[in-house]
Amino acid sequence: MALNFDVQRSHLMATPSLRFILYAVVALILAVIHVVFLGYISVSSVTPDLLLLFTVWVALVEGQFTGMVAGFLCGLLFDVVSADVLGANALAKTLAGFTAGYFWREGFAMVTIGHYRYLMIVAIAGVIHNLVYYLLYVQPMQIDFLMFFLKYGVATTLYSTVAAVFPMLYVNRRRDQ
Amino acid sequence: MRRLIEFVVRFKNYITLSTLVVMSFALMSVGNLSQLGGFRAVIVGSIGWMQSLFAWIPNPVALKSENVALRELNLQLAVESARSRQSMVENSTLRKMLELPQYTDYTLIAADVVGKTTTQLRNYATINKGTKDGVREGMSCITDAGLVGIVIGASQHYAVLQLLINRDTRVSAKDQRTRVDGIIQWEGENFLVLKDVPRAYDVQAGDLILTSSYSARYPANIVIGRVVDVGDESNSLFRRIVVEAAVNFATLEQLFVVDTRSSSERAELERLTDERQRQRSTP
Repeated sequence: MALNFDVQRSHLMATPSLRFILYAVVALILAVIHVVFLGYISVSSVTPDLLLLFTVWVALVEGQFTGMVAGFLCGLLFDVVSADVLGANALAKTLAGFTAGYFWREGFAMVTIGHYRYLMIVAIAGVIHNLVYYLLYVQPMQIDFLMFFLKYGVATTLYSTVAAVFPMLYVNRRRDQ
Repeated sequence: MRRLIEFVVRFKNYITLSTLVVMSFALMSVGNLSQLGGFRAVIVGSIGWMQSLFAWIPNPVALKSENVALRELNLQLAVESARSRQSMVENSTLRKMLELPQYTDYTLIAADVVGKTTTQLRNYATINKGTKDGVREGMSCITDAGLVGIVIGASQHYAVLQLLINRDTRVSAKDQRTRVDGIIQWEGENFLVLKDVPRAYDVQAGDLILTSSYSARYPANIVIGRVVDVGDESNSLFRRIVVEAAVNFATLEQLFVVDTRSSSERAELERLTDERQRQRSTP
């Protein structure tokens, strides 16, 4: 019963091409929200990474291959809208999508997302993402990577994990209906 | 052939991962967004327009911080005002006596900050003035407190600034008291580091750090910040000088773009000298 809630329910979600167009639109909206609005909820310059949550979502629904590609495209999109070095986020989010893809189980996507497991997956993917991203970030600076990562990388991962509670609760609630 | 197809199908995830990683590194080696030219201007314009649409939404944390900063500034200004009145009279007399040339008056373009990307340490700001108002790439930006950053891209109505607290920022700077030179770099939060200052040189906590006239990118004698800590770098002949930025980037709302165009004669001379040195060093 719970499994029937999965992507087969609507025509939109059942058609792969329409589904991928929807993913692209959602990614674009999330990127704009991130750049324009997330400053309002930043804590000491740390904000949740919405595109990371989305990459993990896609990886859990579509599998590792699509998750990686989605991560790359989301990262590239974010690099463009945030005026960052092209490729830095693309690399980090590709690896995050690859990591999250290991937790993909066919037909169980919404079960995983509606469970605490989703938070754990976001946290693991977030650590991988931020390790790679901040390693590239501090490269031109002469500062201790470990301290920098503990300060910003861990904080960003935690904030993203907290933000992941909302999609988890949303899916959980819809599944119960 | 069948084996190759089977191999690709079997390891498609790892092959895709390797391809995407290589593509990411290739993109990084291309450089930053400024190399995308016109496309970048469109992105800057669109994001700036969207940020300006929502700029009216108050940010309570920033407002509180701004209130505290304004109160402190008000107090300082009251003291400074009395001092400067006396200094103005003295200054005028001394200038006449020494026949010092008048300082060049820069043309300033006032702008509002309509968006800031200080999240996740991407320290850029978007302002509501662009090429139509005379803002060009490479112009520096200041406030009454000091140096803010440099324009790295401009569309017709918006421009993006690389703030002083950005990992890519390097500013040629000097100590106001002792005229010791160094390079200012950002190392996290609101703190900067004055690099390349030998241990024997005199720099003390409390000294004011200004932009140096050696820089072709930034106007000279603009306040960067104040020295808060002086130590020795381990295994090095240089000092570790921590400087607190004069500008509070968290509450940055208005600024001036300094219309400085570096002297083409100076740039040409420096280029020719570089070329001559390179030719001499080539066997």
